Amino acid sequence: MDAVFGRPVARARNRVAVPRQIRYRTPAVVALAMALAVAGVLALASGAIPVSLVDLFGNAANELHRAVLLEIRAPRVLLAGCVGAALALSGAALQGLFRNPLADPGLIGVSSGAALGASVMIVLGGGMAIASVLAPYIVPLAAIAGALLVTWFLYLFSTRYGQFSIVTIVLVGIATNALAGVGIGVLQYLSDDAGLRTLTFWMMGSFGRATWPTTTPAVFLMLAAAVPILIVARSLDLLQLGEAEAWYMGVDVRRLKRGVVLSSAAAVGAGVALVGIVGFVGLVVPHLVRLAIGAGHRHLLPGAALLGATLTILADTLARTAASPAEIPVSLVTSALGAPFFLWLIARERPR
Amino acid sequence: MPVRALTVWLVVVALPGAAECERADSARIAAAGGSITEIIYFLGAEDRLVAVDSTSNFPAAAREFPSVGYVRTLSAEGLLSLTPTLVLGEDDMGPPEAVAMVARAGVTLVRVDEVHTARGIIDKVRCVGSVLGLHDRSAVLSSSELEPVAHVLRRLKEEVTRKPRVAFLLQFRDGAPIGAGRGTSAQGLLDMVQADNVLADFEGWKPVSMEAMSRAAPDFVVITERGVRGAGGAATVLAHPALALVLGNGARDNADRLIVMDGMAMLGFGPRTLTTALELAKRLHGAQTAFLDIRE
Repeated sequence: MDAVFGRPVARARNRVAVPRQIRYRTPAVVALAMALAVAGVLALASGAIPVSLVDLFGNAANELHRAVLLEIRAPRVLLAGCVGAALALSGAALQGLFRNPLADPGLIGVSSGAALGASVMIVLGGGMAIASVLAPYIVPLAAIAGALLVTWFLYLFSTRYGQFSIVTIVLVGIATNALAGVGIGVLQYLSDDAGLRTLTFWMMGSFGRATWPTTTPAVFLMLAAAVPILIVARSLDLLQLGEAEAWYMGVDVRRLKRGVVLSSAAAVGAGVALVGIVGFVGLVVPHLVRLAIGAGHRHLLPGAALLGATLTILADTLARTAASPAEIPVSLVTSALGAPFFLWLIARERPR
Repeated sequence: MPVRALTVWLVVVALPGAAECERADSARIAAAGGSITEIIYFLGAEDRLVAVDSTSNFPAAAREFPSVGYVRTLSAEGLLSLTPTLVLGEDDMGPPEAVAMVARAGVTLVRVDEVHTARGIIDKVRCVGSVLGLHDRSAVLSSSELEPVAHVLRRLKEEVTRKPRVAFLLQFRDGAPIGAGRGTSAQGLLDMVQADNVLADFEGWKPVSMEAMSRAAPDFVVITERGVRGAGGAATVLAHPALALVLGNGARDNADRLIVMDGMAMLGFGPRTLTTALELAKRLHGAQTAFLDIRE
């Protein structure tokens, strides 16, 4: 039943390539899962300290190597994977929801909304009386609130003024990013020397702060946010026909929108709160997956999550090994790879 | 101030590595902070260095060591890969998570207190000396090289009748000069040389408007070499409206009233900050302070 609904949409979009894409899409998702596993092992095995792959499987001879693997690399790889998956999954779901291929959490301002929320807490939160049990979660919660605010704003804007055109969403994104930038700028102005430097380096994006106590709750939150997105795949397919059409085919459009918006904001916010802004994953990965296996959300969503995790893990591995023993900000890597790809996407569309 | 509360919380609760200045195994040192590296060279212990951070660019030889990144964005695994026995850092080394990971891996961490006074510099040298087991050498070097300068600077305090009014600029950003308000390291330097910070009505480093600058009416403008280079040379800086306005109207030649010095030498608060302060004091106080030369 689901497949019946899924297919016509994909066929309408990619008339020529569909048969091949549909035939291979389940194996493709399986292949992506295997690629993720390989990337994970590769990431665990590489770093400034040479640790052999044998050490990965128990009885590491060296106590230091064991600590490096379990305390430094493992939470880092897990967090990189989850953040990459969350960004790509949110990107794919938002692109489906807005029916707009440019809806990326970074481009439309969700990431900077999250950054603004987190900055508020970093700069002003210290004065609030917060129970020490809750303290590690305050910044992530503020980031989620910020992401939510921006997503909600975009959603209201889109329902009030009808459907977004590509130009409108980019312009609204520019305005939203600018507004969030103003907020962050004001906070930078208000903060003192130490707060300013904390803020600056927090903004740059790094998985270097991943520890088990901060990673674990964020991972659970991202997983919890991913589930509602994954189960509305069929509804997102139907939505591509148009809101009214989806409504007549039994999709509760309002609920669908609310669910996707809330879940994306939670997933992106939790990630941004811990690692800062990681650019282009949410935009580029869904396009890559769509090129390979078509636009049907039942395969696109898990595929995007898997590929997002794989690419982000690899980007972070590059970030921490390229300039070893120092690190380069991971966003430099993702943007350096993502921005040219984005240009290529545009160039590819032009000749038609 | 909430930020301060958070910082205090970070330093007290979250950051391991107290400034206890107790002797530690210093066979292999990773230095995180320009002044720390400078002090290690000052004490002649550079043969124990295995890594420095990216702010450690004095003396020039320090740049030969592997860099573990900026002092506030250290890489935990990068640090551990050089198998240091001791990570000796400035009090702003971080991020806290990376520092905690290094501590959990069994490496001794010492965070050296930073106080922006002449005494603070001497204490820093003494602290590093104690940690490295070079207490005697640091005491000898302090009393021969640092104490005399500190003494002269103290004497300056008694002799100076009229404090020169000074604006300290870091660099130009988007065309506006970034000035040092109160609570900055530059404020500490200006206090050392008995100068009035004309920008002390705000806190931290902030852009200064043309009007604020002309209202502040400094006698001198001190700016870092990097700031001058970034702006395109001393002539461009002097021609900047914010500066032309205040420096152009004075009795003295305006080029003399623009003082350009190495930023890390002025604000690093390692041993050379003392000699730099002495040099700055000579330029600010001019003829009335012949005694500043006694030391030489």
